[in-house]
Amino acid sequence: MTMLRPSAWSLSIKLPVIVCLVVVGVAAVIGAGVVGKDRIELREALSDNARLLARWVAASAAEPMLRDDSWSVYRILRQVTFEGGSGETEVVTAMVLDREGKVSAHLQPGENPIGLPLVVHGDSEAKLLAAALGAHAPMVLEDEDGKFVEGIAPVFAGGKYVGVVRVRLSTRQLTETTREAALVVLALALGLAVLGSLIGIRLSLGAVRPLRRLADAMALLGRGNHAPVTIKGGDEIAQLGESFNRMAAEVAGKQRLERELAQSEKSAALGRIAAGVAHEVNNPLAGILNCLSTIKDHPEQPDLVARYLPPIEKGLHRIRAIVQDLLVEQRAEHASELCGPECLDELRDLIVAEVHGTGITLDWDNRVDAPVQVNRPRLQQAVLNLLKNAAQAMPDGGRLKFSASLDGGLLRMEIEDTGIGIAEEDLRHIFDPFFSSRKGGTGLGLWITLRLLNSMGGGIEVRSEPGKGSVFHLHVPVEGEGHGPAQQ
Amino acid sequence: MPYLSRRGSVRLPAMQMFKGSWPASWSTARGWFGGVVLLVLALSMPLPAQAAEGPVRIALTAAAVRDELPFYDRWAAYLGRKLGRPVEFVQRRSYRDIIEMLRTGELDFSWVCSYSFVQALDAGLVDLVATPIFRGKPLYQSYIIVPRDSPTTDLMQLEGKSFAYTDPDSNTGYIVPRAMLRDGGRNPERFFRTVFFTWDHGQAIEAVADKVADGAAVDSYVWEYLAAQRPRLAERTRIIQRSEEFSFPPMVARRGVDPDLRKRFSDAILSMAADAEGRRLLGEMMLDGFVALPASSYDKVRALPTALPLR
Repeated sequence: MTMLRPSAWSLSIKLPVIVCLVVVGVAAVIGAGVVGKDRIELREALSDNARLLARWVAASAAEPMLRDDSWSVYRILRQVTFEGGSGETEVVTAMVLDREGKVSAHLQPGENPIGLPLVVHGDSEAKLLAAALGAHAPMVLEDEDGKFVEGIAPVFAGGKYVGVVRVRLSTRQLTETTREAALVVLALALGLAVLGSLIGIRLSLGAVRPLRRLADAMALLGRGNHAPVTIKGGDEIAQLGESFNRMAAEVAGKQRLERELAQSEKSAALGRIAAGVAHEVNNPLAGILNCLSTIKDHPEQPDLVARYLPPIEKGLHRIRAIVQDLLVEQRAEHASELCGPECLDELRDLIVAEVHGTGITLDWDNRVDAPVQVNRPRLQQAVLNLLKNAAQAMPDGGRLKFSASLDGGLLRMEIEDTGIGIAEEDLRHIFDPFFSSRKGGTGLGLWITLRLLNSMGGGIEVRSEPGKGSVFHLHVPVEGEGHGPAQQ
Repeated sequence: MPYLSRRGSVRLPAMQMFKGSWPASWSTARGWFGGVVLLVLALSMPLPAQAAEGPVRIALTAAAVRDELPFYDRWAAYLGRKLGRPVEFVQRRSYRDIIEMLRTGELDFSWVCSYSFVQALDAGLVDLVATPIFRGKPLYQSYIIVPRDSPTTDLMQLEGKSFAYTDPDSNTGYIVPRAMLRDGGRNPERFFRTVFFTWDHGQAIEAVADKVADGAAVDSYVWEYLAAQRPRLAERTRIIQRSEEFSFPPMVARRGVDPDLRKRFSDAILSMAADAEGRRLLGEMMLDGFVALPASSYDKVRALPTALPLR
């Protein structure tokens, strides 16, 4: 279908077509002009011939007509039209009529007897006859169909009007000449069209090939390969090539910088994680080691074991929790399952218990109305993390609002609190590991939440205003969205 | 502009003079007219001279086929050798021109129509020299001809039609058809719608062939000659009637011509069949020879028009 849309054609087609059309157009216009002018001139020459022949006959036939010498008049008519009608000029007919319109001589004597009025058939012939008989000076008439021109010359003998000469010349030669000229012009236009196409193809190849090389180089650049293009000459396309090369070099430099930057950022993040892990693990470890050291130093006080075991266990649990958090992706199953509105409603009970007695009111709005295919544990943990976060952001109470809905293939959720909010400079870091603005937190909650959502192909956005609260928008792509139970 | 045709027409084949494309022929046409004027002047200049040692002048009339100019040059050369003097053939449009020239002494001999001959004889202008023998007989007749595809079968059916006469002094081309009409109880003056003179039997045939004329009366010798030499012209016509036979148009001498010259001329003409060149010339004219006849042989021609209500 694209073939039908000229705008979609390749330049290598468009350019030759345009050049070709322009060349043909110019050739056709000039040719038509030449042919037209030629035709007008030929027609004028034909008219002149007709008039001259008629005048010639009139001059020669005057005396014989005066003497009623029909034979001489006929011989003059025949001779003049034979001689004058040779070559380019074709005499259709010719005649000499006397003043009353009777035939004095006619080139077709058998059909037009001398001494009898000329018999005419049809209106146009009658009109021509009337015009001829009314002529007082040589003139040229044309028939309605353009088949002939008629030269008319009145015959005067001794100053007396004795009759009229009519010489009819065919326009066939004219038409043929015009047609031949038109054919020549047509052939010329076709030849020029071929030539124009060749030139157009040559031009377009010259213009399109470097463009295509540029396009290929750009495509390569898009895939990360930078190959400089070489375009000869100093025209715009060559300049474009140079610009492209400069740009590609800059892009390559930038990419290298970005790679290095990403590398260093990765190292920094790894360092931060390692430092965080070390720090978080170190605190309980130090406590545990301290407890164990005390127990070991005081074997005489067996009650110390009973006293220190709980903190040791607590410390180990904490370490395990950190490790488990770090391994969140390995921990959760990848299998997705069918999950209805109740998946989210289960969380409601947990959070109700959490906020009980804290002065937090819960506004739960679950509009999910159909089962969807989703990784249930990950979704639940991500949402629960955020709900808990929100509750913790409101130590003095407030309102926690949860809403969920299906939007096309997306499960959208919104968790809004009226808590302390997040400082603007912190917003960029809240999803970093071990970043926490709250005492006692591991700083892994939001990081884990983001990783959970990412692992499901989803995402998270946050808006926050310090002192007023925060809103977390979650979206997770789901399958089986529809009205009624999923059919999978 | 002088009236060229009346003054004299040397019948040059016009077509040879018109060659080339149209604009050229226009200028040629002026040249043509000029050329004719010059020719006429050239021909008229020696006329008043009438010197004894000038060429012997013989006139050709419509009785002969006159447009074979090279032939007449050769015949003139032949006769010139026999006479010991240059011979020149002269052409004029009509018989009357010739008779007038015989009267003024501008001519020595002439080949005239039988009717012109009896007129000139009776006027004391000429003497009979010799009569051609055509197909074994010194006789000819008038052919009434019509276009080949014409349904006409009889002269009487041409009433109200156009008709071509040759010359008002022509026996076969004028007197005979009018006599036939008269004998058929018609008035020749009003019988045809239109008539015209062609001043030449050959052109009368042409007029019928081209259907300019619905009919014509022509010299049987000229028609037969053209039928043999230019069949494409004669075959476009058809003979519907043949008149009775008359003595063939004769060669005559002006009465005042030098008797010695007249004798030599007579001998030369009558003996043509005796030598090879003479026979070849006769053959080209489709004649068998010349014979001396008494003038009374033409009485029948003389008898015809006296009974006609002529003009």
